[in-house]
Amino acid sequence: MAAVRTNGERTVNRLAIVSVLIITMIFLAPIYWIASTAFKPRNLATTIPPTIVFTPEISPFVKLFTKRSQLRAPPSQEEYEAAPWWERLVFDGGEKVVRSGRGEVQLSGYPSRFMNSLIVAITSTVLAVGMGTFTAYGFSRFKVKGEDDLLFFILSTRMLPPVVVAIPMFLMYRAVGLNDTHLGLIILYTAFNLSFAVWLMKGFIDEIPKEYEEAALVDGYTRMQAFFKIVLPEAATGIAATAVFCFITAWNEYAFALIMTNRRAQTAPPFIPSQVGSGLPDWTVIASGTLLFLLPVAIFTFLLRNHLLRGMSFGAIRK
Amino acid sequence: MAQIDIQNVQKFFGHLQVLKNLNLTIADGEFVVMLGQSGGGKTTALRAIAGLESVTSGKILINGTEVQDRKASDRDIAFVFQSFSLYPHMTVRENIAFPLRAVRMNATERDKAVNEVAEILQIAEHLNRKPSALSGGDMQRVAIARALVRRPQALLMDEPLGVLDAKLREQMRAEIKRLHIARGSTSVYVTHDQIEAMSLADRIVILHDGVLQQVGAPDEVYLHPTNLFVARFVGSPVMNVNGVRIEGNTVRLAGADASFSFPDDVLASVRGTPADLALGARPEAVLLEHQPTEGYLDVETTNIEPLGSHDIVDVRLGDTVLRARTASGFVSGEGQRVWARLDPAQTHFFDTATGLNLRGAN
Repeated sequence: MAAVRTNGERTVNRLAIVSVLIITMIFLAPIYWIASTAFKPRNLATTIPPTIVFTPEISPFVKLFTKRSQLRAPPSQEEYEAAPWWERLVFDGGEKVVRSGRGEVQLSGYPSRFMNSLIVAITSTVLAVGMGTFTAYGFSRFKVKGEDDLLFFILSTRMLPPVVVAIPMFLMYRAVGLNDTHLGLIILYTAFNLSFAVWLMKGFIDEIPKEYEEAALVDGYTRMQAFFKIVLPEAATGIAATAVFCFITAWNEYAFALIMTNRRAQTAPPFIPSQVGSGLPDWTVIASGTLLFLLPVAIFTFLLRNHLLRGMSFGAIRK
Repeated sequence: MAQIDIQNVQKFFGHLQVLKNLNLTIADGEFVVMLGQSGGGKTTALRAIAGLESVTSGKILINGTEVQDRKASDRDIAFVFQSFSLYPHMTVRENIAFPLRAVRMNATERDKAVNEVAEILQIAEHLNRKPSALSGGDMQRVAIARALVRRPQALLMDEPLGVLDAKLREQMRAEIKRLHIARGSTSVYVTHDQIEAMSLADRIVILHDGVLQQVGAPDEVYLHPTNLFVARFVGSPVMNVNGVRIEGNTVRLAGADASFSFPDDVLASVRGTPADLALGARPEAVLLEHQPTEGYLDVETTNIEPLGSHDIVDVRLGDTVLRARTASGFVSGEGQRVWARLDPAQTHFFDTATGLNLRGAN
């Protein structure tokens, strides 16, 4: 199958591969930096020049999940030997794990912030994609009066820079008691993603031939059944792509999360940098928190990769 | 199986009227082909029967029951689309079983019905494949199997062979006919291909601009077209149509330098008509001779299309050209002198203003 190539073209081809490799390395460098810092001992995190070779440690992750305080004096021999392996790692760093009166380990703020991020991002993605798919289906299949204007209006909600509405939103949220709640952020992110979801899904649903549904309609199905049995499976690719985009937006959102939440419903993005501010920052802990924060989007995209890659040209429609 | 009645049906798309007072009865077990140019209203009529398009006014009856306000799913008819419209995410078996799932038939019966119809359409070996892995002909067989599996009241087909290549189209045409004879299903078939229409139909319905032009058996439509549109649309090559003047017993084509003589009885019905007339003669009604013959006019051949079984020869008569059908090799080349006559029994006279046929050929 390979086309005939001249020597000149081969050279160009190799140069292209090399330049792609270089560009890829430039883009991956920050991720490598975060990942390596997350496993470094604290004293190697900020060396100049950066330490490349080191023995990876798990201690930053232990510190990430636990509440710690400074040790005034080194722990006694018994204390040290009685402690589980992960607590000794904290002792080694000159800190101790804070325990409650009954001896239970106190968790740091990170796990609950991470859970908040998951709750808010997943719920708002499901809502935005679900409502967006229904809306897009309506616009795609039915004659809607002023369809173009309505679609433009929906998109126009995205044209306003979010920060412009941040203060009024904050005041309104405070008035109705939605600030620092999961529901508040979910509503915000759903509204924010909905316009995008409608537009993306309309494109995908337009691509699905009307005849599929018509065939189902004459075969004895209602429009609703045709929608669920025919349109949804055919739109799976589009739904996956839209969900990935909505999830990324909701997961990474920083400004509103910073303004609207402070404790109960705070998500990871405003929490992670807030640790830098207090005292001498432990960059390894921040790096490990950031690394974990990267994973859900990566996993989600990985799980949906087949749908994302599968083209729409899969159909058995002859045109 | 069922009888379908269409009564005074009108359909507007905005201000555009696409069906104008359509009346038609399709008998139980009949194979009716709707023939016409694209935009003629034939697909709209078919979709109206199926319930995929509402009608603006008028009635549609299936087995005597009014269905024009019923949903497609409640009409118990099947539809085969030009695009086949097989669900790409389902296997062939699931595609065929899909209409049976709608009526919640149990799995054993469903499998039996699917296997049976797959056997009839010779697609049994493809049942577990995805539609995208099939050839065009097999896709169409699956589409027909899906339509037939639940034994609908009627089978509607919208240009089902339109996307297939010529050879396959001929083969599938024969299969559809065979299937119709075997199952006796009431069938309505839409096409713009008059050969398909002629070969499949019990009756052909010709629609133009939303108006029903003629309904009749294929030979009737071919031999006795009611108007100029039908005369020109049915038949290949197209019928010769020329302006004509009648003087006594002679007929002179516009632009011709001589006249044909016609018997009295043929001209009786058109003599004295004030209207401008056009004469229609199919190529087989233009007779050629090598030698000067009584009643034949001197003409020159201008073009020959050898088609194997016969030739189509263009001959020039004054400024006008007639197309004649001859035995193959009858004329050896262009520029030959031959003698031509019109067979009066196979000619038609049309009123050029209304297009109506004033005298059907016998």
